[in-house]
Amino acid sequence: MSDFDAIVIGAGNAGLTAAATLQRGGKRTLLVERHNVPGGCATSFRRGRFEFEVALHQLSGIGTEEQKRITLRGLFGKLGITDKLEFVEEHDLYRSVVPGVLDVTLPADWDGAVDALEAAFPGNRVRVQKFFDLVKQTTYWQMAAMRGTPAEQVDAVVFRQGLRPTQDVLDEHFDDQRIKLVLGSYWSYLGQPPSVLRFQDMAMLLFAYLEFKPWHLRGGSQAMSTAILDSFLEAGGQVRFNTAVTRILTRNGAVCGVRLDDGEEVSAGAVVSNASTPLTYGMLDPDVVPHSVRRDIGSRRIGISAFVLHMGLDATPAELGFNASTSFVFADMDDDRTFQAMRTLDPVRGICVSSYDIEPIGFAPTGASHVSLMTLQYADAWDKVAPEDYARTKFAYAETLIDLLEKMTPGVRDAIEEVDVATPLTMMRYLGHPGGAIYGFDQDATESWQFRNSEREPGVTGLYLAGSWAGYGGFQPTLEAGARVARRILRFTAA
Amino acid sequence: MHPIAEFFDGAAEIQAEIAQRDLDTTDHTAETARVIARHHPNRLTLTVSEVVVETATTKTFRVGNGDPLPPFLAGQYVNVFTDGTSRPFAISSSPARLDHYDLTVRRVRGGRISNQLIDALAAGDTITTTGPMGTFHHNPLFHGEDVVFLAGGSGVAPAMSMIRDIVDNDLERRFHLIYGSRDEQDVIFGSELDALAAELPNLTVDHVIAEPSATWSGRTGFLTAALIEELTGPLNGRMVYVCGPQALYPYALEQLTVLGHPRRRIRFEANGAPARPEAQPHWPADVDPAGEVTVTVKGRSFRTPRNRPLLDALEDQGVQPEAACRSGECSLCRVRVLRGQVHTAEEAKLRMSDAKFGYTHSCVAYPLTDTEVDF
Repeated sequence: MSDFDAIVIGAGNAGLTAAATLQRGGKRTLLVERHNVPGGCATSFRRGRFEFEVALHQLSGIGTEEQKRITLRGLFGKLGITDKLEFVEEHDLYRSVVPGVLDVTLPADWDGAVDALEAAFPGNRVRVQKFFDLVKQTTYWQMAAMRGTPAEQVDAVVFRQGLRPTQDVLDEHFDDQRIKLVLGSYWSYLGQPPSVLRFQDMAMLLFAYLEFKPWHLRGGSQAMSTAILDSFLEAGGQVRFNTAVTRILTRNGAVCGVRLDDGEEVSAGAVVSNASTPLTYGMLDPDVVPHSVRRDIGSRRIGISAFVLHMGLDATPAELGFNASTSFVFADMDDDRTFQAMRTLDPVRGICVSSYDIEPIGFAPTGASHVSLMTLQYADAWDKVAPEDYARTKFAYAETLIDLLEKMTPGVRDAIEEVDVATPLTMMRYLGHPGGAIYGFDQDATESWQFRNSEREPGVTGLYLAGSWAGYGGFQPTLEAGARVARRILRFTAA
Repeated sequence: MHPIAEFFDGAAEIQAEIAQRDLDTTDHTAETARVIARHHPNRLTLTVSEVVVETATTKTFRVGNGDPLPPFLAGQYVNVFTDGTSRPFAISSSPARLDHYDLTVRRVRGGRISNQLIDALAAGDTITTTGPMGTFHHNPLFHGEDVVFLAGGSGVAPAMSMIRDIVDNDLERRFHLIYGSRDEQDVIFGSELDALAAELPNLTVDHVIAEPSATWSGRTGFLTAALIEELTGPLNGRMVYVCGPQALYPYALEQLTVLGHPRRRIRFEANGAPARPEAQPHWPADVDPAGEVTVTVKGRSFRTPRNRPLLDALEDQGVQPEAACRSGECSLCRVRVLRGQVHTAEEAKLRMSDAKFGYTHSCVAYPLTDTEVDF
C-alpha cells in the first residue's frame, strides 16, 4: 500500500483546495509546501503597526447566497469554511484615472456602470449597454462551449467574438478613446494589453466582477488560505512546511510518489502539482514526458510578474483622497506603450492601486490605512541588474510608482509610515515560479482554452496539474481549479 | 485542440502561430534556482577568513565562500546556525563589498552561543547561515537623507554597515551616530568611526560613556532626551534608528517621546525574546514563570519551564523549526498550538488570522499550561 493516496505539491490556492477536497473526499493526502505558511500568493506579512495583503486585489466569484450553486461561496461551503471567513463587499468596480484626461469610477453593478459612463461620456448609453450585452452573451456561451455543449447548440456570437482582440471589440463599439480605456482597465488582472488579450477573457473577467461583485476578506487572503488548510487538517490531512519536492517518481511510466529535499521518498498513486508547469515536468524523468507535452510547453511563454509597493499610511483613505477600493492610474492613453514599458525599468506607466480601508479588511490601525501599488513587469529587466545595484534600482523604480500615485492622490508620500517593495525577483523567491510569473504563462491568444489543455491532459499517468500555469490565473480560477482537479481524481478512482 | 475550437473565427491562425513558434528550450528549473540563489538563498555555507579582535569582549568574523555573496541592505542580519540552535547577527561590513560579510559578535553574559563563537570560532572554520534578512535598514522611500542612530554596545554593528555604505557608495546622506558604551574599552570600531567622522562632513559620531575613566573628556552618562537634543539639535522628524541591549529600547522611546518625536519616525532593531516575559501585563498573575509544564510536539513530550521560549525549548529537544530573527518579527518559526494555553509576548508580530486559527511565533511564545504544538 502506498504511503498516501495523493500528494499535493504546493499550498497555493489550487494546492489548498485540491488537498482539502481530496482529503474530505476520503483520500489520504499529503500536502508539501516549501514556505512556512500556506497560501502562495494568498498571504500577508507584518510591518510595524500594519499587516500587508500580498496579492488579493478583488476576489471575484463570491456572489450572493442565492448564487452559491455556481460560485466560490459554494466551494467554501463544501470545504466547511464559510463560517470561518468574513467577506467584505466592495461597492465599486474600480476608478480609472489618466491624469488630466479622465477620472471615472464605475459602480460594481451593470446598470450603475452604464449610468456612470453615460455621465462621464454623454451620448454613449446605448453603446455601453450593447457592449455589456455582448460581454454577457460571450461569457454565457463560452461557458457552454467549454463544458462540451455541441457546437450546433451554442450561439454563434461566441464563435464570432471570442477570439477577437479586446481592442477590436472596443473599437467597434466606441469612438471615444477614453471610454475604451476605462472599460479595458482590468487588463492588468490578466497580464496582456487589450490589443493582445482575447475578448472572451476580458468578457469573463468583467462578468465575474459585475455579476458576482468584487469582495475582500477580513484578515486578507491569509485568512482564507489558513481556513482551507484548517479544513484539510481537520479532515485528517498531513502537511509538511519548509519542505520541497525535488523529484516526481514514476514506475513504468506512471507516477508513484515524490522525493523530498531531505531525500525521503513518499509513495502515492496520484500527484497534484500546484507548482509551475515547467518546474513540474523538470521534476520528472524526461523519458516519461511525451514529446507532445514537451512541444506544448515549449511553445508557451513564461508570463509576466509584478512589482508591488506595500504601504502603511498614517492617514485615513478619505484624508488621502482614496474614494474607491481599486483604482487604475495610467500615465496616458497608450496601453500598448504601457505594456512595452513593463519589459524595462523605465518609469512606470500604469499602476493598480488597492486601498484596503475603504471597506476595511482589518490590516491598518484606526486612523491609518493600508494601500498597495502594483504594476505588472517581466523579470528579465531585473535579472539583468547587477546584484550590488539591486536595492538602489528597486527603490528608484518604486519612486516612479509613488510619482504616478501622487497624480491621483497628492500628498500620499508624506503620509508613508511603512513601505516594503517586492520586485519580480521577490515573486520568484516566494513562488518559485520561472520569471516570477504571477499568472502562469502569458495569456495571449495561443493560451486560450481552445488550444491548451494541460489541466485535463497532463500526459503522464497519475500526474495532475492545478493552478495558474494549467489554466487561468487569479484567485477565483485557481481556487476552482484545485477543487475541480481533485473531484476528477475522486471520480476516477471511485469508478 | 478543443473539439469546438474549429468553430471559432481566427482559430486556424492561432493554431498556426503555435505551430511555428520557436520552442523555449530554457532550463527553467536551473534558471529559477540560479536567480533565487543569487539574491535570496535559503542557506549559505561560509568560511571564516579572518578574526578581528575588536575589544576584550567583541570579535568580528569575516566570512565568505569565494563567490560574490547575495546583496544586502546596510542594517540587515544573517541568522547563524550552530549547536542545534541559531542566533541572528547584524552584518557590519559594507554592502558595496560582497566578497565577504563581517559578523561582529559580542559576549553576552551567560549567553551560550555568543561565548561559543568568540571562544572557538577560528579562521578556516565553516558556518551555516540564512541569506541576509530584516527590515532594519535605511529605506529611501520615506526615511529621508538626514538620519540619527542611537547605538548601545554591539548595537553599533548595523550602524557601522550604514556608515560604510555612505562612504563606499558616496551617498549624500547625513548620518549622526550617538553611541553609548559602558566604558572606553568597550567601544567597538572606535578609531575607524573617529577617523571617518573627521573626514566626512556629513557624518557625526558622538560617544557617550556610562562609566568613564578619569581621562575621558567626552560625553558621559546615558542617552537622555537632553543629551540627544543637545547633540542633534531639533530632530524635526528625522528618522531615528535604535539598536542595542533590550533595556535601551523603552528608555530611548521615552527620551524621544519627551522630545516630541513621533513614534513612526523611530525604528528599533529586533533584539531577541523578552528577558522577563512574566513582566508583560498580559502574563497571568497567578502563574509561576519558573514552573514546569509538559510540551508535546510530533508525538514526543518533554518538560520545560514556562519562561523558556517554545522555540528554545523545542531546540533543547533536538526539534528545530525554521527560524531567523528570534525576536517575534519574521514569522519563520510560526507554530500551531493544538492544545493548551500559550503566552504570546508583545514582541510577536502575528498576522490577524493567526490568533483565530491558533498560530503563534514560537521564539516569543511561552507555554503556560501543558501544551501541544505542531509546525
